[in-house]
Amino acid sequence: MALIKEALKQLFRRPATLKYPYEKLNPPEDFRGRPVWNMKKCIGCGLCFKVCPSGAIEMIGKGLEAEINHYVDRCMFCGQCAETCPKNAIRMSEEYELAEFDRSKMLHKYKRDT
Amino acid sequence: MSHGSIIKIPFGPQHPALKEPVNFLFEVDGETVVNVKPRIGYNHRGIEKAFELRTYTRNIYLAERICGICSDAHTTCYTQAIEELLGVEAPLRARYIRVIIAELERIQSHALWLGLVAHEIGFDTLFMYIWRDRETILDIFEMISGNRIHYAMNTIGGVRRDIHAAMMPKIKKGLDLMEKRVKYYLDVVQTEQTILKRATGVGILKPKDAVDLCAVGPILRASGIKNDVRADDPYAAYNEIPFNVITCDGCDILSRIMVRLEEMLEGVEIARHALDSMPEGVIRVRVPMKVPQGEVVSRVEAPRGELIHYAKSNGTTKPERYKVRSPTLGNIPALCKMLLGGYVADIPIVLAGIDPCFACMDRMAFIDTKKNRKWVLTMPQLRRKYKRKCMQK
Amino acid sequence: MHAEITSLLAILVFPGVIFLFVLAFFYEWVDRKFFAKLQNRYGPLHTGAHGILQPLADFLKLLSKEDITPFASDKLIFALAPIFYLALPLTTLFVVPILSQTSLITFEGDLIFVLFTFTLIIMTVFLAGWSSISRFSTIGSIRATLQMLGYEIPMGLVTIGPAIAAKSLSISKIVEWQSLHFWIVFLQPLGFAIFTICLLAELQFVPFDIPEAETEIVAGWRTEFSGRKLAVLRLGKDLELVLASALITSLYLGGPQQFWLIPPIITFLVKTTFAVMLLSLLRAVFARFRIDQMLTGTWKYLLPLATFQVILIQLGFGG
Repeated sequence: MALIKEALKQLFRRPATLKYPYEKLNPPEDFRGRPVWNMKKCIGCGLCFKVCPSGAIEMIGKGLEAEINHYVDRCMFCGQCAETCPKNAIRMSEEYELAEFDRSKMLHKYKRDT
Repeated sequence: MSHGSIIKIPFGPQHPALKEPVNFLFEVDGETVVNVKPRIGYNHRGIEKAFELRTYTRNIYLAERICGICSDAHTTCYTQAIEELLGVEAPLRARYIRVIIAELERIQSHALWLGLVAHEIGFDTLFMYIWRDRETILDIFEMISGNRIHYAMNTIGGVRRDIHAAMMPKIKKGLDLMEKRVKYYLDVVQTEQTILKRATGVGILKPKDAVDLCAVGPILRASGIKNDVRADDPYAAYNEIPFNVITCDGCDILSRIMVRLEEMLEGVEIARHALDSMPEGVIRVRVPMKVPQGEVVSRVEAPRGELIHYAKSNGTTKPERYKVRSPTLGNIPALCKMLLGGYVADIPIVLAGIDPCFACMDRMAFIDTKKNRKWVLTMPQLRRKYKRKCMQK
Repeated sequence: MHAEITSLLAILVFPGVIFLFVLAFFYEWVDRKFFAKLQNRYGPLHTGAHGILQPLADFLKLLSKEDITPFASDKLIFALAPIFYLALPLTTLFVVPILSQTSLITFEGDLIFVLFTFTLIIMTVFLAGWSSISRFSTIGSIRATLQMLGYEIPMGLVTIGPAIAAKSLSISKIVEWQSLHFWIVFLQPLGFAIFTICLLAELQFVPFDIPEAETEIVAGWRTEFSGRKLAVLRLGKDLELVLASALITSLYLGGPQQFWLIPPIITFLVKTTFAVMLLSLLRAVFARFRIDQMLTGTWKYLLPLATFQVILIQLGFGG
């Protein structure tokens, strides 16, 4: 009987589900979304690439000329790269809608502005 | 109902009652189960081999991905093992945070389980309510760690993120809400006739069988045996926090439900106590990349029961051998015992009753299905087995 | 000639086949939406206003899907079973008054005809499950038949109640009697409760969804059906829901009545919607019984209570 009361109570409540694509929740402050590189700070040490557990980071070139390729489809958003980076060049953004139909769109390239 | 005509019902690998692939072949006489043949291994992912190929830092995240629901238990177990090899100890604040995360995880894992049990007995409304309330805990996790399921809180030498004072009110509010709801569910479970009818006297596992068949965790405790790694071999900060080991001697599904619900209440208490008495200080110590030679066994009380990790290091940046014994594997022989003589209609709930996590489990087959031999491994045997394996290499 | 066309239209369009199909889809939507609301969810949302077209969309989608007949199945019965499952509740609905106090077809004893078709529906279910050979279907159909043994007799007993009160075995006469006297639900509340429980079992709703218990035997007797056949089966189930709610309405809630300026069809719709919501509320708040528990429960409690109800009427209470 406890459940009938509870069930009838729900009739006067707003559904707990979100109409997702139309309604969205704001991610919290320290959300671990897609990592974003700040190439002005990057010194090309390669630590992020070495430490990445899922091999989602690729480094082309060396040192200050290095470029970063980040494969979102492999990334598991652990944030180890952001934690390891000695220059704090990596930030975990709040972006979470990362699905694409085309794999090539899931590759994010970070180049240096000259 | 006809007697003598035995129908063989395959259960899985794909079946609505199973959230993960596993195969049971039931021999059914009318509605009664007369034989059970489990076949496991559909989820074998070669994780232990993968451990040997990755560095210790990268392995933290691999350990986390052994299981989606008890991810923190696996990383706690892993980091504890490696910390012991390194000879470092996580700071006290870090260990308190580990306790908080572990207890929150226990609450959400048990809530998930309870919802599934409700679904198995066709009680979808209860399932929806419980999972809605579970969101509270997931939101707290998202706030603390930045993610809902794979919190990635543990690291070798401490934890990665601190619990700030600003988070306290929201966590406490969530815990209060959870306590209220769990008490309500305790009431529902004890008074709702249809649940009582389906859960009382179903899937009996006598205390002696539970011990003989090496059941672990809430299954063992629901058979009236006081066994909890948190109390028997305290890790993290459990030796500084007072708590009760919940047992229930009904030996059936109802007592498993009760044990888990009571554990959720106890978890709320532990988390509150830990939040209040958490000392100030650093949350992690830096550790070297290379781990000295040695081997270690680490134990943790995961939501599903005792979890054992074994690591062998050869002095490099990668482990030489890694082994995981997850609680579900320990419960499979006991599960077969529970199912025998039961009804077909009770299979899903009994199966769900052990809170199976096949992704955790599928690493090594312990049951010889052809000879139908049951196989029990005690702790020393387990150690011997691993040693032999390591020597062969 | 003119009269023949009108009666043909009445059977085919309103309040006949097409109207009943629309009603079936509408009540599936009411059921799903109300069930979702009870569970603190939204339910169907995007197809049409508030998802009202979702059942129709599901039906059309299933029609376009591949229709697989299992190799080992008894093909003739397998193909015919869905048609029977659709036709039986549809035909039965013709004897239930919808538009006015007399139904499209009415004869003395149509109440017994309704009970008879309820049995036939279960026999169709049995044949459907049995002919598909699959182990899940076989167990599902056996369970359906066993379950019928449990609820059929109490249901037959309690439906005698309204018949005795109105002194007629015709549903139309029972409705007519209620418009002159009281709604029978006030006279025989116990009978109403038992009848609702039996209908839950007939509809295979929780707590009696034993023949199609999803987590135990996949989809039970319906496991092997796909495509068009599944679409027809689903429509048949919706029609059964319409039939159940229409029966609750006409036997206990007074049927289509004229209230002031409100035409009988509107009161009928309001009452049946209420009955559907009652059924979904009941299916939301219970767990599924096991088949043995269901059978002992019906024989131990439902049957004596149904008998007690009949005795009460004979003693002059509620008659």
